[in-house]
Amino acid sequence: MTLTLSEAGQNVVAGTFGRAMKRAGEALGSMSGQVIEVQTPQLQRCTAADVLTMAGGPESIVLAVYVCILGSLQGHALLLFSPSDAHRLAQILLAGLLGPGELPMESTTDPLSYDELELSALQEAGNVTISAFLNEIGMHLHEPVQPTPPQIVIEMAGAVLDAVLLDLVNDADQVLAARTTFSEGGRAIDGTLFVLPRADSLRVLLDALGALGI
Amino acid sequence: MTLAESPSLLVAGIGEMVLSSSPHDHLVAYGLGSCIALAVWDPRAKIGGLAHFMLPSGPANNGSPVKFIDAGIDTFLHALESKGAVLTRSTLKAAGAAAMLTVGSGLAIGKRNAEAMQAALTERGLNLTATALGGNTGRTVQLEVADGRFLIKSLSSVTEL
Repeated sequence: MTLTLSEAGQNVVAGTFGRAMKRAGEALGSMSGQVIEVQTPQLQRCTAADVLTMAGGPESIVLAVYVCILGSLQGHALLLFSPSDAHRLAQILLAGLLGPGELPMESTTDPLSYDELELSALQEAGNVTISAFLNEIGMHLHEPVQPTPPQIVIEMAGAVLDAVLLDLVNDADQVLAARTTFSEGGRAIDGTLFVLPRADSLRVLLDALGALGI
Repeated sequence: MTLAESPSLLVAGIGEMVLSSSPHDHLVAYGLGSCIALAVWDPRAKIGGLAHFMLPSGPANNGSPVKFIDAGIDTFLHALESKGAVLTRSTLKAAGAAAMLTVGSGLAIGKRNAEAMQAALTERGLNLTATALGGNTGRTVQLEVADGRFLIKSLSSVTEL
């Protein structure tokens, strides 16, 4: 079942993402002691099949922060980065927390090797970003959305995504995907935020936002 | 090897199957997580097939020939037989069925896929020759039609099954 959104409806959804990312930036800023902006210049609804393409293809390596969404709204949320962008984001987040001499060195030989501190910072970045969106939704639903603790996976995109894609019943435009840019000073890091509601939850989500029937 | 003899890749996307009798073809399924790939190769007829299943069970006529193991396994095996493969002398190898995401609930699909594949083949009098199933590792698999080599690539290694 494909739910059609008018232009006004699409603007409502885009506004929700925008507000959520502003909050995410504020939370990451207070966590790291830096001024961090999170923007979603591109928001789109796409099919499950498009997700793999947006992630760079099934064999491209990604760092993914995954949260399972439970409660009245059910589904999955993932924040994906390329390995190099993930390293750069971790360095920005940790720079405000640690002194220059205490920063973990970025591995020059293995881009898939992450310091424990880097993983912790990235897990929190994913958690904050996804939670900001879910909190925004929860305000409209008038009941909390229940996310699980975040899980970090560094793997082929296909391997990370197939488990959540097959949980979507059909190939309709079920997925909300947002290109997400984290920026601090002159540095910008690209990620992609996917919100994948289960079968009936997309209607619940869009309805709660007031994006349907306008 | 000249350019003309370079192997061509036939890709089985999610819910798809590829078959070939050309020795120049490599059959590939990229980035398997909880999905499961079944590779069948007849050493006498030199025919190979690779199917990329998503889920243990579901309706037939869903638009993807091998999306579901129960509805799609016969489609795949019959297609191989139609091409001339004899299943009883073929090797059958399976890979995938990992558990990538462990938080939340309801995503233990990999284990169910592995069990469903084993059961479906047993029901048809067939057995898996070799497997690389489970764990928490993504896998890309490749079946080489010329000699039946079945390669499994993960982030850390490439192994032959």
